[in-house]
Amino acid sequence: MAELIEKLKAEIIEALNLEDLEPDDIDKDSPLFGDGLGLDSIDALELIVLLEKNYGIKLQDPKEGKKVFFSVQTMADYINEHQKN
Amino acid sequence: MEAYISGLGNISAQETFDNSVFLENIKKLNPPLAFCIEPNYKEFIQPIQLRRMGRILRMGVTAAAKCLNDAGVEIPDAIITGTGLGLVQDTEKFLTAVIENEEKFLTPTSFIQSTHNTVGAHIAVMLKCNNYNFTYVHSNISFESALLDSMMQIDEYPGLKVLLGGLDEMTETYFKITDKAGLWNKYYPEGQLPQIPEKAIAGEGATYFIITGVSNPENYAKFTGVSTFYKPKSTEVITSNMLKFLSINGLTINDIDLVLLGQNDTAGDSIYNAMKSGILVGTNQGYYKHLCGEYYTSSAFAAWLAANLLKRQVVPDTVLLNGKQTKPLKNILIWNHFRNINHSFMLLSAC
Repeated sequence: MAELIEKLKAEIIEALNLEDLEPDDIDKDSPLFGDGLGLDSIDALELIVLLEKNYGIKLQDPKEGKKVFFSVQTMADYINEHQKN
Repeated sequence: MEAYISGLGNISAQETFDNSVFLENIKKLNPPLAFCIEPNYKEFIQPIQLRRMGRILRMGVTAAAKCLNDAGVEIPDAIITGTGLGLVQDTEKFLTAVIENEEKFLTPTSFIQSTHNTVGAHIAVMLKCNNYNFTYVHSNISFESALLDSMMQIDEYPGLKVLLGGLDEMTETYFKITDKAGLWNKYYPEGQLPQIPEKAIAGEGATYFIITGVSNPENYAKFTGVSTFYKPKSTEVITSNMLKFLSINGLTINDIDLVLLGQNDTAGDSIYNAMKSGILVGTNQGYYKHLCGEYYTSSAFAAWLAANLLKRQVVPDTVLLNGKQTKPLKNILIWNHFRNINHSFMLLSAC
C-alpha cells in the first residue's frame, strides 16, 4: 500500500502539473479538494482519466467521486479494492 | 481615427518587459529559433492558476497584467486579441494524446486550452471582466485585424479603454513542420553566426497595449491608421496602396520620418529591396525582426517599438537600416509582409 501511495502522489503531481510540490509535500490523508491541495472540478476530471489510464479502473457511479477522490489514501484504497476484483 | 497608447506590456526575445528601459542590452538572435525572455510569472499569476497554463497563456496574461498596470487601468472596456496560432502547444499536446492513447483517456486541460481565444478569455476571467472580448485569427494580419476593431470601437466611443494584444508562441513541433516548408534559417555552430542570415529566424512574443480615444500628455504615441491587403501582384501595387493609405491619413511619403520594415535580415528580400530603392529611397528606413524573429503577430512588436521611438524620440542604431535620425519623429509607418502573402500598413504618430 505504501508503494502505491507514493506512486499515486507522483502521478497526481505530474497529471495536475503541481510543479512546486514534491510527493512528500502531500499528506496522504489530507483532502485533495477544498482546504487541502485546493484542486477543482477540472482536476477531478484529470483524476478520473488517471484512474482509467493508469489503473484500468472506470468510475461507474459519478456519486462515488467525492468519496474516492477525498484523499490520496482513499484513492489508493479504491484502486486496491477494484484491481483485486 | 486616432487611438492613444497609454500602456504597454511586452514579452519578447529582447529585454522588453521592464517599461523603464528600452533596448539597452540587445540580444543577437541565434538562428533558427528565438524564444522569449520570460519574466517570473509567479509575481503576476497565482500558483494554482499558473500550473495549468501553457507558455503562451502565461506570456499573454502576464504581458496584459503589465500593460494594465502601466496604464493604471483595472478593468478594460474591451479585450481584443490577435493571434495566428493561439495556444498551439496545448493543441499539439491534445492531438498527440489523441494519437498515443488511440482516442481514449483524453485529459480535459489541454483540450479546454487549445482554442485560440483562451488568452483573451483567461484575462477576462482573472479580471472578472464581462466586457467586449474578441480574438482575431487571421494569419499574419491577426494583430492588424484586432487593431482595426479596437480603433473602430474607439472611434464610436472615444472614452473606451481597450486592452489590445498580439501574441504567438513557437513550439518545436510547429517549427519542425514549417521548417520542412523551407521557411527558416539553418542552424549554425556556436560562434559561427553569419552577419546576414539567409532566411527568417522563427520567433514569438506577447505584446499588449491599452489604447483609448482620450488624449493625455503621458501617452506613448497614437495609432492613426491601419490597412491590409493580400498578395499584391507587383511592387507598383504596393506603392499605390502605400500612397493611398498615407493620403487617406492626410500624409505623403515626405511626412514619414521612419518606415519600419518587416524584413528578416539586413539583406531584405526582393520586394522590400525594390521598395527601398523606389518610393522609400528618400525615407529613413528601419527594421525589427532581427530583434523579435518572424511570427504571425510580430507587427505588434513593431508597434511597441514605434510607440517607444515616438515617445523617446531616439532611434537606436540597431533599428536603423540607413542614415541617421536627424529630425524629430512625428510619423512612423510600419509595413509588414512575409513571403508576399498578407501585407499590412500601420501608422503611428507622436502625441
